[in-house]
Amino acid sequence: MRLHPMTLRILALALALLATVLFFSTQIDGYLSPRMFTRITTSAAVILPVAVGQAIVVITRNIDLSIGSAVGVVAYLTGDLLGSHPDLHPLVVALIAMGLGAGIGAINGVLVAWGRVPSIIVTLGTLALWRTFLVQYSDARTITTASLPQWLVDLPQANAFTLLGVDVRVTVVLAVLSAAAMGLCLGRLRAARRFFAVGSNPDAAVMAGINAGVVVFLAFVLSGALAGLSGFLFLAKFGNITVVAGMGFELKAVAAVVVGGVSILGGSGSMLGVVIGTVLVDTIDNSLTRWELVSEFWRDALLGFLIMAAVTVDTFMSRQLTRFARKEG
Amino acid sequence: MKKIGIALGLVASLMGSAALAEAVKATPGGAVNMVLLPKFLGILPFDQADRGAQEAAKELGNTGTYQYIGPTPENSAAGQIEMLTTATTQKQNVVMLSNNAGDQIAAVAEAAQAAGTKVVTWDSPIPSGKGESVFVAQVDFGSIGTVMADMVMDLTGGSGEFAILSASPDAANQNAWIEAMKKVLAADAKYKDLKLDDVVYGNDQSEESYNKALGLVDKYPNLKVIMAPTTVGIVAAAKAMQDEKLCDKVKVSGLGLPAEMVSYTMNGCAPEFALWSFVDLGYLTAYTSYMLATGAIKGEVGETFHAGRMGDFTIEADPGRAGAKRVLMGPFTVYTKDNVEAAAK
Amino acid sequence: MTVLDLQHVFKSFAATAALKDMSLAILPGEIHAIVGENGAGKSTLIKIMTGVHQPDRGEILVGGAPVVLRGTQDAQAHGIAAIYQEPMVFPDLDVAENIFISNRAEGALMNWRRLYAEAERLVEKLGVKLDVRRAASGLTLAEQQTVEIARALSLNVKVLIMDEPTASLSAHEVARLLDIARALKAQGVAVIYISHRLDEIFQIADRVTVIRDGSHISTKPIAEVTPDGLVHDMVGRAIDTFAVKTEAGPHGAPVLELRALGRTGVFHGISATVHAGEILCFAGLVGARRTDVALAVFGIAPATEGAILIDGAPVAIRTPAEAMAHGIAYVSEDRRKMGLAMTLPIFANISLASLKKLMGLFGLIDRKAEGQMAETYRKQLAIKSPDIGVEVGKLSGGNQQKVMLAKWLETKPRILIFDEPTRGIDVGAKAEVHNIIRKLAKEGVAVVVISSDLPEVLALADRVLVMREGAQAGILPIAEASQERVIGLAAGHDMRGAA
Repeated sequence: MRLHPMTLRILALALALLATVLFFSTQIDGYLSPRMFTRITTSAAVILPVAVGQAIVVITRNIDLSIGSAVGVVAYLTGDLLGSHPDLHPLVVALIAMGLGAGIGAINGVLVAWGRVPSIIVTLGTLALWRTFLVQYSDARTITTASLPQWLVDLPQANAFTLLGVDVRVTVVLAVLSAAAMGLCLGRLRAARRFFAVGSNPDAAVMAGINAGVVVFLAFVLSGALAGLSGFLFLAKFGNITVVAGMGFELKAVAAVVVGGVSILGGSGSMLGVVIGTVLVDTIDNSLTRWELVSEFWRDALLGFLIMAAVTVDTFMSRQLTRFARKEG
Repeated sequence: MKKIGIALGLVASLMGSAALAEAVKATPGGAVNMVLLPKFLGILPFDQADRGAQEAAKELGNTGTYQYIGPTPENSAAGQIEMLTTATTQKQNVVMLSNNAGDQIAAVAEAAQAAGTKVVTWDSPIPSGKGESVFVAQVDFGSIGTVMADMVMDLTGGSGEFAILSASPDAANQNAWIEAMKKVLAADAKYKDLKLDDVVYGNDQSEESYNKALGLVDKYPNLKVIMAPTTVGIVAAAKAMQDEKLCDKVKVSGLGLPAEMVSYTMNGCAPEFALWSFVDLGYLTAYTSYMLATGAIKGEVGETFHAGRMGDFTIEADPGRAGAKRVLMGPFTVYTKDNVEAAAK
Repeated sequence: MTVLDLQHVFKSFAATAALKDMSLAILPGEIHAIVGENGAGKSTLIKIMTGVHQPDRGEILVGGAPVVLRGTQDAQAHGIAAIYQEPMVFPDLDVAENIFISNRAEGALMNWRRLYAEAERLVEKLGVKLDVRRAASGLTLAEQQTVEIARALSLNVKVLIMDEPTASLSAHEVARLLDIARALKAQGVAVIYISHRLDEIFQIADRVTVIRDGSHISTKPIAEVTPDGLVHDMVGRAIDTFAVKTEAGPHGAPVLELRALGRTGVFHGISATVHAGEILCFAGLVGARRTDVALAVFGIAPATEGAILIDGAPVAIRTPAEAMAHGIAYVSEDRRKMGLAMTLPIFANISLASLKKLMGLFGLIDRKAEGQMAETYRKQLAIKSPDIGVEVGKLSGGNQQKVMLAKWLETKPRILIFDEPTRGIDVGAKAEVHNIIRKLAKEGVAVVVISSDLPEVLALADRVLVMREGAQAGILPIAEASQERVIGLAAGHDMRGAA
């Protein structure tokens, strides 16, 4: 049997997640419960789309730091729109949110792909720009649950289905679907393979006749659209949207992507890895909150340490498994 | 409708009345160039303060300029320092600062004072008091402890477990309030059946506060109240309880904005919370600043002055910060379903 | 009827004219060699033909019709593809995907099973054993090139440009590549073959074009030219093709001695002595692990067995810094990766390994001395550049090699290891580099040269160490080393009797 290195990575990551869950189940009463499952999945669902979008951008050897502001702007504008048009169909609302995000992403994309400005500079700029726009636009008004239609306020509690007594919420299904769709595209769509090619060796991509500019542009548009989806989920979940909405999401997304085994140097990564990475980071975060043994002040430090440990274990395991698989092969 | 008496507020007003005869009045029509500098732009409380400050400036017939400027949320601390520096080089007469940069801003504030620009803090002071003329305190920090303890008493029916969901572990305001609350709980026997389980921090982020609130519920099965002395935390916690259909079991309280809290107060998830008026805080800050800048008051401890519709105030030593001075505003308004709808408009 | 036609093409970069009135006609099914010195305009010519650059003036015709090539994609659509001296692969993608990355004829969805099957078929057609499912990272240069050729084949090209394709291949791989070129020709594909190796050109080319200083000099059927004539046309002057050395030069005391040196799983049992003033050449096929011996001696991938002796005393070398402290310098094959900082100017590259010497007041770098140092080498090694402030990345390969050499010479090494010193360098520059190496040996430096270019080995070496599959196949004094003998040892067959 010969396993692909990426398969090994996923396997190692899954083992790290399993180890984390097993460890905390010995530490926290009632940890392995349907309720805990719901807590972690609903919390991870808000981050997952941005993490998936970030992964696509990172695969092309770029980075999108503007998504925190993109999530905030989309959540606010969508909430504002619903205040004046409460009768819009839910699907239309979600599509509008993703469209807004895609527009924000397109601006980044144009500047990076054809403006030849490094993505870290461009998106750091738009991060501040969109936050400023939100400050100006909002005029210090808060979007509150009172102004939102009932279906949206109820969305976070809505169950998609119950499996063996475990509730799977609609928001979780939405987030996972977005990741699965992207995963399928990246693996199966011929054009999508170019994201990997451009990130793996940009010079070679040009020589191979790939229009690297278009590829990078599309990566940012996708990242924006997925940030839009996150913005929609954010609005549904928290209801209360101020100008600080979505702040810090870019760092969470980067953490999830890196833990999920996407190479920060571009060219490799898988959506399954990003999903597991997002869940792993969120599991650690949510479990620490419920762990008696650590005080609040040590949680952040411990979270950072555990993320590093997870990455180290993952790298180590991949290496071991590769060796093992070679021998077998 | 309940009113909660505030011991220290009472003391302050007594002092005020004692000094009534000497209260200095402002001379209207002066030219004072003022800058109101909030932590960052875009949220309601600071805009309310702006409204109050403008009201005062108009009332005083200030012929100088008035500006409301601030950084974006992402750039709060660095932006404040930059803007204070700019205001100094522009020779503004007074900068009214809700400090979010800790003591980092002290050196810049001292430079401003040296260049003739007064720095009056409000809402959040400079921790060391360096470079600050005077702090206009919204309420006495000690009294917030009493209000929080009384609201927990009310919601638990006198006995039970509760937990605190704060902002960040290093937020000076919240930490002082939590300490004050602990003191109150220990001091008075009527609180003996209340048990504080935990203090957690949501870092003023919706998402983190939401998750932390649910974490508290999971960790302490007998929890009856989540006390959140932060406007972001309280609304996130209320939404979390509503989403998880826990509002019958766990009540949310703390410091919140009526406009954001109205639906949760009406549906019983957060039946009772408190806040002071940011409009009044802005008004009093502008009055204090105008009188300092025109020389009507010097900013010395013991000086008493008249602040328009709000009455008389006295500059006193800040009990929380050695060597610093404050003007105490007070009192609170406690919001319930009887008054929250009116306040939300 | 021409398949590709360039008519009066001009191209300038800033003030420099790279191509001046270049015309070139390629016929279907011919192998058309293009030769020229470095800087003659070959790279620009290729970039014009592949759409990377657009001509300032002049026309490109494909099948007789004028076309505008706006990018490699356009060129591929017209059936023009190229493979390069520095292979262009995607390290993170697997081999099969690397081969089909440019293919647009397939549907929108990936059919992985078919992809692998097709890739295997193509790779097999090239007569190479390569796992098409493995990632391209870690492939040898020769393997990477195989991937590139397969990629071009997958596009059903009408014109395939090969830019120095054999620079990194060993003898039998070269033979296979030439076979592939002939096979392509038989299928009616025009192959534009660019190489410094004249022997290959005489083996396969139908016609040969010489370019010099961006202009077309001559195009003749191969039967009408001689090697001397070609070289004359290229350099515009007569040049001695390097003679084979027949006798070892005089040399002094032993300086570097390797005793059964090895690195677990990589190479083993390498024993040799290099004396002051002696040139020892490592010969062997690509993949014989010659470079790994150099990396061990230089401390990049230290040896795990055996011993290294310097001046007769055993030394431990675990890092490049330790190697440098013993007076060892390593001029690597991969200029881009290990040798030069491409974005820094010439002077900064030259001074990089000897900054300590330039330290002036307060430990600051003495700019004036640094400039003088660089200027001396620019003159001494004839680095072609207007001044020493030019970015190294903008120089031609041969001049980059000279900059790297200057950097190491400044450390005044006693032991100098050259890894493929003339790879991808034109004939003129090659002779210059050889002269420099000989001069260094004459000055008493112990020199080790790793080279896949057999004429080069025989022209330089006092002794030849032949490696095969990580082991020492033999060590020959130059008097006993013939092409046949060395190739035989490298391929696992000692032809002592035959020689």
